[in-house]
Amino acid sequence: MTAINDVTEVTGSQKRSRWGSRLDRREGRTAFFFLLPGLIGMVLFLVVPIIASVVLSFTNWKLLGTPQFVGISNYVRLFTADPQFWPVLRNTLFFTAEYLVLNIVISLGLAVWISSLKVGQRWFRVVFFLPTFTPGIAVAIVWMLIFAPGGFFDFVMRSMSIAMPNMLTDQTLAMQAVIIVSLWAGVGYNTVLFNAALDMVPQSYLEAARIDGANAWQRFWKIRLPLISPTLFFGTVMTAITSLQVFDQIYVMTRGGPGNATATLGYAIYQRGFQNFQMGYASTIAWVMFAMIMALTAVQFWLQRKWVHYDN
Amino acid sequence: MKFSTVLAAALLASSAFIATAQAQEQVNLTWQMWGDEKDAALWKSLADLVTEEYPNITVTAQISGWTDYWTRLPVLASSGQIGDLVAMQSMRMPSFYSILEPLDAHFASDGFDVSAFETSIIAGLGHDGTQYALPYDVGPWMVYYNRDRFAEAGVAEPALDWTFDDFKAAAQKLTEGENYGYAVQAFDFVAGPVALGAEYFNDANQFDVTNPGYVDAVGKFVDLVAVDKTSPVFASGAGAITGSGRFAAGTAAMYIDGPWVLQQTKDSVDFNIGVAPLPRGEGESRFITAGSGWGISATSAHKEEAYKALQVLTGPKAAEILASAGRALPGRLAEQKFWYDVAAKDVAGTHEVLDYMFAHSTPFRLNEYWNEFENLITQYMPLALNGDSTTEAVLGDIQNQLPF
Repeated sequence: MTAINDVTEVTGSQKRSRWGSRLDRREGRTAFFFLLPGLIGMVLFLVVPIIASVVLSFTNWKLLGTPQFVGISNYVRLFTADPQFWPVLRNTLFFTAEYLVLNIVISLGLAVWISSLKVGQRWFRVVFFLPTFTPGIAVAIVWMLIFAPGGFFDFVMRSMSIAMPNMLTDQTLAMQAVIIVSLWAGVGYNTVLFNAALDMVPQSYLEAARIDGANAWQRFWKIRLPLISPTLFFGTVMTAITSLQVFDQIYVMTRGGPGNATATLGYAIYQRGFQNFQMGYASTIAWVMFAMIMALTAVQFWLQRKWVHYDN
Repeated sequence: MKFSTVLAAALLASSAFIATAQAQEQVNLTWQMWGDEKDAALWKSLADLVTEEYPNITVTAQISGWTDYWTRLPVLASSGQIGDLVAMQSMRMPSFYSILEPLDAHFASDGFDVSAFETSIIAGLGHDGTQYALPYDVGPWMVYYNRDRFAEAGVAEPALDWTFDDFKAAAQKLTEGENYGYAVQAFDFVAGPVALGAEYFNDANQFDVTNPGYVDAVGKFVDLVAVDKTSPVFASGAGAITGSGRFAAGTAAMYIDGPWVLQQTKDSVDFNIGVAPLPRGEGESRFITAGSGWGISATSAHKEEAYKALQVLTGPKAAEILASAGRALPGRLAEQKFWYDVAAKDVAGTHEVLDYMFAHSTPFRLNEYWNEFENLITQYMPLALNGDSTTEAVLGDIQNQLPF
């Protein structure tokens, strides 16, 4: 009885798989044609430029004229001869570290605060989200005017009798000015993201904890935070990636200055590529930046096992 | 019925043929230009001059903002999409001459004479003895000053050959709290030291910004800000524009710029303005000039037509239009009078000052890394201006980053 059953099962599955593979192939072909427009777009605008920039990073292309192959000399120059590379790298990491921590802390704080409100939740969400869909360059220009020497910020500080150097011409403060503007523009997105996640935490868990005698602090640390940790992780990774690429604010507000105080990798790429016309060298920096972002993201994914809690 | 169909088809075919024949003769030239929206009508009227003179040539201007223009230009050139006529500034010529058609052979073919133009700008729009563009404007960097503030403070108006000490004394007298005597901008560290007799290049035309003469001259201008506090510090993000803003607002009595902003400056202030040459050092006055013009793209398919168009665009009539509108002090000497009569008529001393400056002009020494140098000045000079670093250290830093 069992043997007969086995046999029929075997033949049945063989039949199914033969039929299935033919179907798969046909469906695969259809799927391929349906995917073609997207695929062509991706190859044309993603894969080809990426390969092109790898190739360029081994040349001395100056935008005008034909590129010449120079081997790894761009990379050698970057790591050994360029006096600006290490300061630029340090600035980029400094910006990322400070901005990332402040962004996550502030946006999480705002999200928790908004979710605790009885009225006006939606209104506040919109208010904090507004900067996200305001053009970054326009925002940076307005802030540049506020922080400019003799500008509004200086005026406010002076009228409060606070003696401090101008934000944009001081080597230490310039980076803080860039971080303030980035926070203003970037906090809203994470706030809405975290707020949505907090709203998804089942009320029954929180009520159960309350009945068991957990205070507000414990409910936050032990229940809400672990439950929103996947969203927190997503927000952290995306914010880290965008902050390693920071460009707009620096381009508008400081142009990497004063000195090299705010020169970051993103700005260095623009400066080398489009101001000094060293496209090959700019591609080299871009690849170093890419490798760095990859590595840091990988580290974050590795670390997430320790703190991110997936419900299922 | 059949006959009429044939007739209609024949008519249609012949009209199509005529249309193509006309289209073949008609040449459309694209003209890459920078500028504001408000200048568009001006450039259009110049383009119309070309069609008036050569009915088969139409010129269409493609206008982008100043900064974008220089980012787009190499991209358009390397992707083969550059226009037939290309705007070029004298200071960028060493980086971009290779995308332009040498004009000397064209000049030889029709005996075109460049002596109608101011000599320093003809030199500025050439490279290694080859002419690549013809100018529409020219001018030296000069001092714009607020005549009302000078009168209030009892400071004598600048003489043509005033010295740096005179300039400094004026700046000090004119400074009162938040009202500065002078507003420094990034380019002052180029034009200023040259007027004082300093050189930023060595004899081989390579950057040597740590030579004692240049360090000393830059230091003099830095001290006006860092020590004497006669000028606010500029921020690296906007080094090139803050001076004009302060001058227009009346909070800085002097700033340095070229005649290309005269009309705009005049329109944006509510006080009397005057212009003066840059202050000289111990020796004779000497001034650098810059200007812009148009060349023909080396890859243009219509070089002959573009050359014809170029002659109209830089011709006497076009110069008169631009000068009368106040847009440009013409590179053509004969038409400069229209600028003096119209744009500069309420500005004290313009004619004498510019005559004096052109008579004392010195070649503007450039190389292909010029743009990089200007960017470094903007980025690094604030450190010397706010006292975080010394002039010598900042120039040393700049020198280290310059390729040579």
